[in-house]
Amino acid sequence: MNILIKSAEIIDPNSDFHKKTKNILIENGVIKKISDSNHKADRTIEGKNLKASPGWFDMRVSIKDPGSEHKEDINTVAQAAAAGGVTEIACLPNTKPVIQSKDVISYIKSKAQSTTLNIYPIAAVTLEAKGEELTEMIDLHHAGAIAFSDGSKPIWHSDILLKALQYIQMFDGLIIDRPEERQLSNFGQMNEGKMSTLLGLKGIPKLAEELIIERDLKILEYTGGRIHFSLISSPGSLDLIREAKKKGLNVTCDIAAHHLCLDDSLLENFDTNYKVNPPLRSKEDINQFWKALADNTIDVIVSDHNPQDEESKNLEFDLADFGILGLQTLFPVINTYNKKIKLEKIIEKLTVTPREILNIPIPKIEEGAKANITIFDPETEWVFSEKDIKSKSKNSPFIGKKLKGTVVAVFNNNQHFIH
Amino acid sequence: MQQLSVKHLLGIKDLTAEDIHLIFETADNFKQVINRPIKKVPSLRDITIANVFFENSTRTRLSFELAEKRLSADVINFSSSSSSVKKGETLLDTVNNILAMKVDMIVMRHSSVGSPHFLAKHVKCKIVNAGDGTHEHPTQALLDAFSIREKLGDVAGKKVCIFGDILHSRVALSNIFALQKLGAQVMVCGPKTLLPTYIQELGVKIELNLRKALEWCDVANVLRIQLERQTIKYFPSLREYSLYYGINKTLLDSLKKEIVIMHPGPINRGVEITSDVADSKHSIILNQVENGVAIRMAVLYLLAGASNN
Repeated sequence: MNILIKSAEIIDPNSDFHKKTKNILIENGVIKKISDSNHKADRTIEGKNLKASPGWFDMRVSIKDPGSEHKEDINTVAQAAAAGGVTEIACLPNTKPVIQSKDVISYIKSKAQSTTLNIYPIAAVTLEAKGEELTEMIDLHHAGAIAFSDGSKPIWHSDILLKALQYIQMFDGLIIDRPEERQLSNFGQMNEGKMSTLLGLKGIPKLAEELIIERDLKILEYTGGRIHFSLISSPGSLDLIREAKKKGLNVTCDIAAHHLCLDDSLLENFDTNYKVNPPLRSKEDINQFWKALADNTIDVIVSDHNPQDEESKNLEFDLADFGILGLQTLFPVINTYNKKIKLEKIIEKLTVTPREILNIPIPKIEEGAKANITIFDPETEWVFSEKDIKSKSKNSPFIGKKLKGTVVAVFNNNQHFIH
Repeated sequence: MQQLSVKHLLGIKDLTAEDIHLIFETADNFKQVINRPIKKVPSLRDITIANVFFENSTRTRLSFELAEKRLSADVINFSSSSSSVKKGETLLDTVNNILAMKVDMIVMRHSSVGSPHFLAKHVKCKIVNAGDGTHEHPTQALLDAFSIREKLGDVAGKKVCIFGDILHSRVALSNIFALQKLGAQVMVCGPKTLLPTYIQELGVKIELNLRKALEWCDVANVLRIQLERQTIKYFPSLREYSLYYGINKTLLDSLKKEIVIMHPGPINRGVEITSDVADSKHSIILNQVENGVAIRMAVLYLLAGASNN
């Protein structure tokens, strides 16, 4: 089977065709031809404003499988990813059982085969992600663990973090920490600020995040190794990371798409689809986040896709679980709220940088390469509706919202998904 | 009939100053009614009200029940000391079960912030918030402001200081909203650990020193120190609290003026306030309780009369 993508602008700084508008012929999962000529094909994809980039990578996804398959499973996560233009993800270890053994890694990897999605499991740093005893990280690395993290939980124990950073240097491993001092965020429901005061909800101060980043950076300076901070939500954290990068420490970080556009004033009506951790911050903070994207203090944008069923969300605010869907709306959300960042830069943070951090080969749009490609249109506006949702859960704050930018098709693993 | 701008009473935040004045004027009439030999009016005949209390309460529940009975409503009571979720039933299911028995209004107290707002989104009947966690307790704030108006003639221009645990207090928050809407100046006073970090952004003054706060205010609204709502320790001991933040007669007598003492109850005598202060002529604590019934009658009456559209 061959498919022709007509007049798509290629956005791939590693390709000779970068920023050129070409026809791309894909045959049996391989890029056969990139040219101006019209090839005959079984199927043709055409449209206005088409762009082609290497397949997008989402570095932070809760796949819920195994353990909470009523919220999401690997099949539905693959569908949601395809609809969102994502061809590769790294998944968090907070499954049941926790990703801390070879069999869970191979279960996840095998179940995603024959879809357009590659899943790279992140294994737990500590047993049950409790922060107390290290997992067998070398063995897990050889079994396919792409990085190590306690996932939605911070690595709270300083000495455990120190040992983990030292231990995985033999294979140049990566620790991903979700910085949060839980003693300060305990019982917190939302950003600490004027809005939390008005609503009488316990706030989560930015201090809780900044303190752990400061601690982690000190430890990193002592141990060497590499650390990646996930879900930055405070300009103060970004100042610390900016400084650390200047010093030459091996530190990177990501931010969730929703933190770039939603602020805590949206919680006014206690809509639990805005309940995320770290919490939505203020409008002023959002401006700082965009600046940090522009100056590359923030390396990667993630979805923090976290499916929660109605039983976990349609509740009193404090009883509802944290988390929202994000895979499917990842790019449209960033693109809609984009504050003057060049499209290429956004695509870089969805393609090149996450793979560089995780040491994964970066797909290239060139003749003869395996097709791992996302075709999208950054201009078209559409309204995201509940029936568009491919996930099992429906906890998206973007239902009913007008978004700019659509995913037209994805190619990967000799499979494709066309809208 | 004049109407409120809201369908439910979820919080003071949603009310306009006109709404509050309308409630006060209506309460003036009901206060006369409940001081007559025949204390009952037929205003809410054929209206069924459920008092649904998921948290312990004596006075608020009694006050609502009495207000409902004085208005001739049919009343049912549901109490559960813990959230029903723990019993395996969701709040929504519990309330829908009650509503299936044809209930017109729900008066609810619940430990979760925003639970009456959540309910208002999902059920058709009218809802009165009788306290939602650490968020709002609108009828308490209304009766407090009504009592200040009764004692001092007006709320506008008065200086009111709220003392104690502001961080965990729905009474404090609703009072701040109500008093500001009515043109009063508001101060909060307590140990810094019991004041929300961003409280200043609500336009209130902050004072950590008890004596200075008392010197500033016309009205002292003293909150109950609620150890039960504290999952974390915010101060070392009640002993130290009462030494530095307890209001006693010697302190009041040393001020150059008289101030009005209020307390939403129940009082911890000897902790936040001594008996000789609570029972003194400066205290309007029992007037607050009496006014509570009139205010709740006014709220129920006005909401029942409001159209559903």
